[in-house]
Amino acid sequence: MEISQGGDDSYQKKFALPVDSEHKATEFRLFSVAAPHMRAFHLSWISFFACFVSTFAAPPLLPIIRDNLDLTATDIGNAGIAAVSGAVFARIAMGTACDLFGPRLASASLTLLTAPAVYCTSIANSAVSFLLVRFFTGFSLATFVSTQFWMSSMFSARVVGTANGVAGGWGNLGGGATQLIMPLVFDLIHHIGATKFTAWRIAFFIPALFQTLSAYGIFFLGQDLPDGNYSQLHKSGDKHKDNFAQVFHHAVTNYRGWILALTYGYCFGVELTIDNIIAQYFYDRFNVNLHTAGIIAASFGLANLFSRPGGGMLSDLMAKKFGMRGRLWTLWIVQTLGGVFCILLGKVGSLGVSIAVMLIFSVFVQAACGLTFGVVPFVSRRSLGIISGMTGGGGNVGAVLTQVIFFRGSRYSTETGLTLMGVMIICCTLLITLIHFPQWGGMFCGPASKSTTEEDYYMSEWNSAEKEQGFHKASLKFSENSRSERGKRIGSAPTPNNSTPDTYV
Amino acid sequence: MAFPGFLLALFLLSCLAASCCGVTFSSLQDTLIVTASPQPGQVLKAGEDKITVTWALNTSFPAGIDSAYGTIKVKLCFAPISQQDRAWRKTVDNLKKDKTCLHKIVAKPYSTSNNTFTWTVQRDVPTATYFIRAYACNSADEEVAYGQTTDSHKTTNLFEVQAISGRHVSLDIASVCFSAFSILSLFGFFFLEKRKAKASQTK
Repeated sequence: MEISQGGDDSYQKKFALPVDSEHKATEFRLFSVAAPHMRAFHLSWISFFACFVSTFAAPPLLPIIRDNLDLTATDIGNAGIAAVSGAVFARIAMGTACDLFGPRLASASLTLLTAPAVYCTSIANSAVSFLLVRFFTGFSLATFVSTQFWMSSMFSARVVGTANGVAGGWGNLGGGATQLIMPLVFDLIHHIGATKFTAWRIAFFIPALFQTLSAYGIFFLGQDLPDGNYSQLHKSGDKHKDNFAQVFHHAVTNYRGWILALTYGYCFGVELTIDNIIAQYFYDRFNVNLHTAGIIAASFGLANLFSRPGGGMLSDLMAKKFGMRGRLWTLWIVQTLGGVFCILLGKVGSLGVSIAVMLIFSVFVQAACGLTFGVVPFVSRRSLGIISGMTGGGGNVGAVLTQVIFFRGSRYSTETGLTLMGVMIICCTLLITLIHFPQWGGMFCGPASKSTTEEDYYMSEWNSAEKEQGFHKASLKFSENSRSERGKRIGSAPTPNNSTPDTYV
Repeated sequence: MAFPGFLLALFLLSCLAASCCGVTFSSLQDTLIVTASPQPGQVLKAGEDKITVTWALNTSFPAGIDSAYGTIKVKLCFAPISQQDRAWRKTVDNLKKDKTCLHKIVAKPYSTSNNTFTWTVQRDVPTATYFIRAYACNSADEEVAYGQTTDSHKTTNLFEVQAISGRHVSLDIASVCFSAFSILSLFGFFFLEKRKAKASQTK
């Protein structure tokens, strides 16, 4: 157990995990629920899981819902697109909210605000109302951003990839689990005596209640930062309330955020698209029954149990040896391979091989998601929330784009759509070659110069007036802690000649 | 030159083989006269209204045509207008894959007289336009003949069913109450948070 002293506090803070100078945990212990680090981890992945279950609760029950609400195939397709499009802007807004109010309040608020949409799914009575409830429920997928932000605030550079990967992956698991949970709940309620058209409505109370309870858990048991909550830290002066315009400006002017947003659309966006279309693909092409198609669809999402966390861990492993350049190379390789297996998936004609290719494809595409969020925490320190939100939102944009281009109407058969989607994945992933950090380098180039430091990069987000007031201190600590992204060069690397200006009041 | 020809022959043979294993609708004879109680355009309520179906052999056919008939299966079938943009109700010639008639009304052994049945429209029947079809099946449970209340283009004598909504007042109230509770909780959270922050400031 390491004991760290809080800056000006008169009492010592004890943490159950070893921490760095920002009090972020330097180890990730999966089976611990110690406050604040591991507790934050478990609260965030469980609430994100609940939101995923709610957002994709309708697809497995569609055979009943489409008869009850008299839906056409177009209605169903539009509702599926609506479910993932709401989160595009919600994720960016969530990023801002995290930067300004902290992940705890931001995610608890969103989860509670979208719970009514899930409760009201029970009273939907037309195609329009069905589309609206799926649209508003889909906003809850923005809790992904608060999850990643929270993990990036609680865990140090050494383990942030792992923490982000496991939290994101286990949350995404909800998309697979719901394909098994909802039919079971429906069957149970139907057996108890409700007619089919009532049983599915009652079934939606389960994900809704789960969501509400997880919001309560986050509010009462969670904490924004290792040192406390934003509201307390703001009032006590330990954390200053940042200026939205500045935070926004530094996010949108950082080209790396835009590149990652686009490439995330071709791993996570592709994952969402597959969640929506894969059951029908197997049902139509290979004539399996709906139940079997549902199980196959579930297994795609369930691979998230280990594949996305695996991506995060791989990112951290590569960073140990090769630093940020290792993270970028691994991301490019894994996501490109995901594209290759997507092309294959469309070409394969037999059921067994198709399932095998789909599972391999799911592992690569989900690992790429984990690898992406091994890079995101380093793009910006001041605007971490908005960058996370942009990247997350880009994922949903990718889902909307691929569904509209390849899987709507009868322009392409589903298998052709899959192959073309694979080609698009490979092309868009090439953009990762353009990402370059002046202090660490990019895929093909080394650092800008021998003397560029982490401080140079992160301090450029603050102007001199802000530095005079000491607002940049957190970024300074982060710069120091991110030196591990140099890889094995860490010993011979330059350190800043103007060290911490602790003479500022 | 010979190879593509061989492939084509193999392809055609396999198609034939596939279709021969399932009975096709186009191979069935329209030997049954089926009448049902709903008037053309009538709207029936699921769970409440009843349909009385009567079927008999069309005597204009030669005698003995019904020798293989073992069971009569009467089904509720979707009219073309209710199949539009709904691939899960598609009409396919191979009866094993055909999804036109998804709701079973009754299955009765074949007899030459007194073929009638009254059915209460079940509560899981969706809102749509329907007609009624009866299949005559042999002892191997394969369809050998049929009869329907509409014409061959499925445009005449169609009726509608209005499904139950599945909603109940108690469910509506529960949804609204829980939703309101969620929003109120949110305001409660903000209030509590402000109080905690003030308390830490005065420390």
